[in-house]
This record gives sequence, structure tokens and C-alpha cells, in this order.
Amino acid sequence: MTDEQLTAEVEAWLAAHWTGAEPHHESFGRDPRSVWLAEVRDAGWAVPRWPAAWHGRDLSDAQGRLVEAAFARAGAPGAGQDRTNLWANTALAHATGEFRRTIVAQLLAGEVGMCLLYSEPGAGSDLAAVRTRADKVEGGWRVTGQKVWTSGAAVADYGMLIARTDWDVPKHRGISFFFLPMKQDGVTVRPLHQITGEAHFNEVFIDGAFVPEDHLLGPLNGGWSVLQTALAYERSVMGDRARGPRSGAGGAKGDLALLALAREAGRLDEPVVRQQVAQAIAWRALNALNTRRAKAELAQGSSSAIMSLGKLAMSRILHEEARVRTMLLRAGSLLEGPEHPRAEDANFLALNAYFTSIGGGTDQIQRNIIGERVLGLPKEPEVDRTVPFREVKAG
Amino acid sequence: MQENEIAALVEPVARLLADRCAEADVRRIMASETGHDADLWRALAGLGVTGLTVDEAAGGLGLGAVELERVLEVAGAALLPAPLLSGAVAAAALAGTGEPLLAALAAGERVAAVAFAGALDWSGGDVRVAGARATGTARFVPDAAVADAILLVTGDGVFLSEPARVVPLPVFDRTRRLADVAFDAPARQVADAAAAARARDVALVALAGEQAGAAQRLLEMTVDYARERHQFGRAIGSFQAVKHMAADLLLESESATSAARDAARQVDEGAPGGEAAVALAAFACADAFVRVAADSIQMHGGIAFTWEHPAHLYLRRARSGAQLYGDSDWWRERYLSALEEQA
Ligand SMILES: Cc1cc2nc3c(=O)[nH]c(=O)nc-3n(C[C@H](O)[C@H](O)[C@H](O)COP(=O)(O)OP(=O)(O)OC[C@H]3O[C@@H](n4cnc5c(N)ncnc54)[C@H](O)[C@@H]3O)c2cc1C
Repeated sequence: MTDEQLTAEVEAWLAAHWTGAEPHHESFGRDPRSVWLAEVRDAGWAVPRWPAAWHGRDLSDAQGRLVEAAFARAGAPGAGQDRTNLWANTALAHATGEFRRTIVAQLLAGEVGMCLLYSEPGAGSDLAAVRTRADKVEGGWRVTGQKVWTSGAAVADYGMLIARTDWDVPKHRGISFFFLPMKQDGVTVRPLHQITGEAHFNEVFIDGAFVPEDHLLGPLNGGWSVLQTALAYERSVMGDRARGPRSGAGGAKGDLALLALAREAGRLDEPVVRQQVAQAIAWRALNALNTRRAKAELAQGSSSAIMSLGKLAMSRILHEEARVRTMLLRAGSLLEGPEHPRAEDANFLALNAYFTSIGGGTDQIQRNIIGERVLGLPKEPEVDRTVPFREVKAG
Repeated sequence: MQENEIAALVEPVARLLADRCAEADVRRIMASETGHDADLWRALAGLGVTGLTVDEAAGGLGLGAVELERVLEVAGAALLPAPLLSGAVAAAALAGTGEPLLAALAAGERVAAVAFAGALDWSGGDVRVAGARATGTARFVPDAAVADAILLVTGDGVFLSEPARVVPLPVFDRTRRLADVAFDAPARQVADAAAAARARDVALVALAGEQAGAAQRLLEMTVDYARERHQFGRAIGSFQAVKHMAADLLLESESATSAARDAARQVDEGAPGGEAAVALAAFACADAFVRVAADSIQMHGGIAFTWEHPAHLYLRRARSGAQLYGDSDWWRERYLSALEEQA
């Protein structure tokens, strides 16, 4: 099929199906657009690069991009999940059997809410130190432990869980990766108040919760490498986009928002302001160019070092944009409340920037990863790397 | 050109430079009277490099900014001291004019320099072309002392005029020789304002490519050193203070590469928004290279404070490129203005 034919086919399909109505979507929990998303999935547009047997169309990366472009032009959601849907990609890569078939289909339509049960009070940057345990029982595992900072847990149907299944081997080798059903006795979710005033993340107490046999992803005790796949997806999405202002008070969106804000503040003729606005916009533009180049390199079949830079770059962008917004407002940034949407935005963004610089692996951990995996610099000595986990000091 | 064709173009140049423009060669050429190695120039001509952007009709390869930028990445990595950037800009300025100079440039027989003047001047010179006469002095003109011809590129067009005086300057970066050029003679217009503007863009893109390539190479050298040098019983690259600097520098150098390549593409496509892309590359690549060069010295420690170590050669090149065609603050301002115009 030529590119033109493909674009024409997507456009024709959208013209026949998309009505333009998009219900409000909370970023967590079941997706209220799931009826539409199921249509997109069944038509093969959700994951066009995947095989036909898996809701896809076997398209090349470049053609997949054409599908996404057509959806973007129509303002319709749901395409391009083969690049962005962390849950579905992880399930397709590592789940097995009937469960794989059911869960992948549900995930593509947003029919199930998901959360990430990785971090624990004693295991944040050092995820291989998890102490939540999964013990083998008839037909599956019983899970006991505590997770924390779990975004979306309150409205989740499943959690992607890492838990220890062997205590007598070194820490990376005794972890398994599960889809834990959240709606059961034995799973208690308690919301945590965030610095933004919101409560998206939670503590999750797990006490003898049951995971069926076929909800194990990857080999038993092979969870560390499944986790790496999932983290890579998560980080690449975080490097590509982030939450914008919350006020909904209008004004320019995206790359040029700072320019519009500087004009609105009557400060666009100050050379120092112009320099700072230009530099912040430039960082965002450079990250987009890096992402584009990374995708082109991947499409040509070579690996791309640049892909791993996005999250670190995005973190700098978000902190800097919030700083520039604050600088523009001066003392105006001291206020909050609906009467003061610009201050609300600046302050919210200044706080929420940490979502990207801490969540999904901190900036420092990202620099370790870039230094070690991309540049090939040696790891730091790790005292606990080769010791059976049972003997590792905690606290 | 497709990526594999570009690779095929660049690879022999990289090999030639590895062989004929190694650090020892760079130092020899730096120390020479003119800063120009005629043999090396002929060897580059043999690969078609001197005629890269010269029209095919005049014996060149007729390639665009995209290919030029990639060759300049390689040249920058090797700190090539040669009038390559000047020649490529001259060829762009003269494209389609059929000037006899073009064929001589392609063959590597003559060397051209380019003086930006008037509305396109960043250097504080005072050259004016009026009544078919050029007067005044162009400042900091690269390669002018070894050039057989000097093009005047102004906001109105491209001119040829015989310089009255070429005064070589004592320069901090001896891999890029500069001169003041005084004019007081008839000036012949050879191309229009559009050609002049394009020549300006090509100059910026080529310089950006040179900076990106140099930053990549220097970072590689620094990371290699951080893997090998041991202190406290471990490689210094295993210390996070060093490792994290390296990770940040990778973001800088990769961003520079993306910016330079995107600007080149937009110059060739004549895309709307090209103005902003060129301005972005101008300051992003200059700043990235300066930062990589400066931090690399820190990451090496005392060894990089010696004349014998190459790190300072890169820092010198970074500092010269960062002022040559306007500084980063100026280009950040142009970038924002271009975005305002687009918005
Ligand atoms: C908004 C938000 C949402 C989140 N959502 C989820 C979620 O849904 N699911 C989930 O599982 N987790 C989630 N997290 C948790 C997040 O992944 C962890 O907070 C993060 O990985 C850091 O772990 P920690 O908080 O324990 O900090 P620590 O690991 O204790 O780190 C504290 C400090 O030490 C530094 N540090 C630690 N180790 C090293 C090292 N080796 N080298 C250099 N510096 C180091 C860190 O960079 C940091 O500055 C979320 C966090 C945030 C902020």
C-alpha cells in the first residue's frame, strides 16, 4: 500500500466513525473513551505496527506515523499505542496464553485501569531491593508487602507488580513480575497528599493478595528484565510529553506558551526576559529534534543513544519553564486561587516538574544510566550486588 | 541524499583526515606561517570536498547544506585547519552564476574567502558597496590571507572586489586564521540578495556542523579517558561527579547535532521556519561546544592544562566559533524574533 493510499484509508475511516465528541479523561483509571478506543483497536489503528493477529496491520514505523498524523489532524485519540501504551506493550512482550489475549485487548481499549507497583518504602531508586514477597501456592502466588507512591492505585484494576520470589540469590535474580488484581481483599489503598495538593499517588498495603498462575510475566525470577522493558517505555513517554498547566485559563499552548505569557506580562521588550524565554523554548525544541532523530535512527534499524536522553532533557525543560513563568510574574506569583490562574499555573508547574525529575527514576539515576549504558562508563562498586538477598542490610 | 549515501560520502573524508589531519598535523599547520596546508587541500580536492557545494556544471558535486553539514561534522571532529567552510560558502554564494571562480574552487586550484558586510555583518566592520565601488574594512574574515578571491556578501547581494589590503590578525585559535580586509576598488555584483541570504545560512549551518562534530569527538575522547584513568583504585568515570558531567555533555552534544542537521535540512528545503531553525542551531551548537570543551578540561584534570594535550585546541576552536558569525545572545534574540514573526 502506498503512503497516499494509507492516509486516504485512515481519513475515510475517521470520516465514517469519528464524531468529534471526546469525554473528559482523568489520566488514571478506566478510560471513559473506551467505547471509541475499542472501535479504533478493532479497526487496527490503535497499534498499526503490531502483527495482524494482535490488532495490528504489520505497518512500518514510518507508515504507523502516518496513521498517528491522520488521527492527530482529526483530533481523535487512540492511535499510536504501539509506541506509547506502556501497559499493552509490556503485556504483549511478556504475558502468555489466554491472559495475554484478554488483557492486551482490554488495555488497548482502556477498559482496565492500571498502576505501577514498583516503589516501596525501602526500595526507590534501588528497585532491586524490593521486599514485597510472592509465595507459591496452589494455582498462583500469595503476595504480602507494602508499595508506595503508586499513581492511580485507587482506581486501578491491575497493578504491574515486582515482588521477591527467591531470597537466596542476589537481589536482581530473585524478582518476578506480575499483573496483580487490585480489586480484592488483601489490597488496601490509602491516598497520599502530594505537594500539588492533589492525591494521585497512594500507599498500597498488600496482605496475602492472590495472583493467578497465568498473571506472571516473563520467567519466574526473571522479573528484572521485564521491568527494564517496562521502565524503558515509561521513560521514553516521560521524555516526550508532560502535563501542562492545570488552570485551563486559556492562553497559548505548547512550545510558544512562554512567548505569549511574556507578551501578556508586558515584558517582551526586556532583553534579559527575551534571552531567558528564547533559551527555554530552545530546550523544548531541541528535545523534539532529538526525539525525531532518535525515531529516524531506530526506523533505520540502528540503536539510538539519543532515546535515553529525553527524560533528563524534559526534566530540565519543565523546571526551567516554571522558573521563567515565575520570573515573568514577579510578586504576582505569590498568589493562588482561580482569580490568579497565571500564578496557579506557575506554582503548579514548579511543583509538578518533580514528577518528571523524581518519578520513573530520578535525574541522578538517569545520569547513571546514560553514563553506564550509553557511554560505557564503569558502574560504581555495589556492595550488595552478589550477596544472597537474605543477607543484604536494609534500612 | 539518503542516510547510507551520506555515510558513503563522509566515510572517505573521515579516513583521509584520520590519516592526514591527525593531532600532529593540526599542530604543524597551526604553527606554520599561513595556517594552510596546500598538500592536504589538494588531497581533499581529490575527494571532491572542495567542490561539495559547487554546481555540477562547474565540476562540483552540486550538493546541499545537508551534505555539507555532515562533512563539516567530520572536519570539526578533526579540527581541520583549512578554508573548507569559506570555500563552501563562496560556492553557495556563486551558485548558478557560471563564474569561472567556481570551477577553480571545485578543482581546489583557488581558495576563496567570504566577508559578510553591511546588513549581514556581525563583526563591526564598515564595508559599503555603493556606486559599484567597495570601500571600508571587513573585520575577522576567515582564510582571507590565503585566499585568491574574496567575496563580499551583503544584504544586497554578492560582490567581487580586489582588496586593497589584507592584514592577518594574531588569533587565539590558530586553527582558524582571520584577517582584516580593506576595500577601495570597483565592486562587481555577481549574485542577488537571495543568494547572499542563502550564503549566510550555509555559513551558519556549516559552522554549526563543525561545532557539533567537534563536540561529539571531544566527548568521546573524554569518556575514553574517564574509563582508563584510575584514582582511589577505580576508574574516574565510575565517580558520579564525573559520570554525571559526561551524561549532561552527551545531552548537549546530541542536541547540537540534531539542531545542526535540522537547520541544514530546512535551508535546503527553503522551508518556512528555516530562519528560526538556523538561529537555533547557531546558538545551540556554539554553546554546546563551548560547554563540552570547557568541562572536558575539568574532567581530565592537570593533564589537560598542558600544551601537549589536545583539549585546549578544542576549547580554542569552540571559543572562536562562538564569536565568528555573531554570538549566542544575538542568535537567541534572532530566534525569538523569528518565532514571533511566525506566531
Ligand atoms: C509524582 C510521582 C509519581 C510516582 N509514581 C509512582 C508509581 O506510580 N509507581 C511506583 O512504583 N513509583 C512511583 N513513584 C516513585 C518514584 O519512582 C521514586 O520516588 C523514585 O524512583 C525515587 O525513589 P525514592 O523516592 O525512594 O528516593 P531515593 O531512592 O531514596 O532517592 C533519594 C535521593 O537519592 C538519590 N539517589 C539514590 N540512589 C542514587 C544513586 N545510585 N546515585 C545517585 N543518586 C542516588 C536520588 O536521586 C534522590 O535525589 C512516583 C514518584 C513521584 C514523585
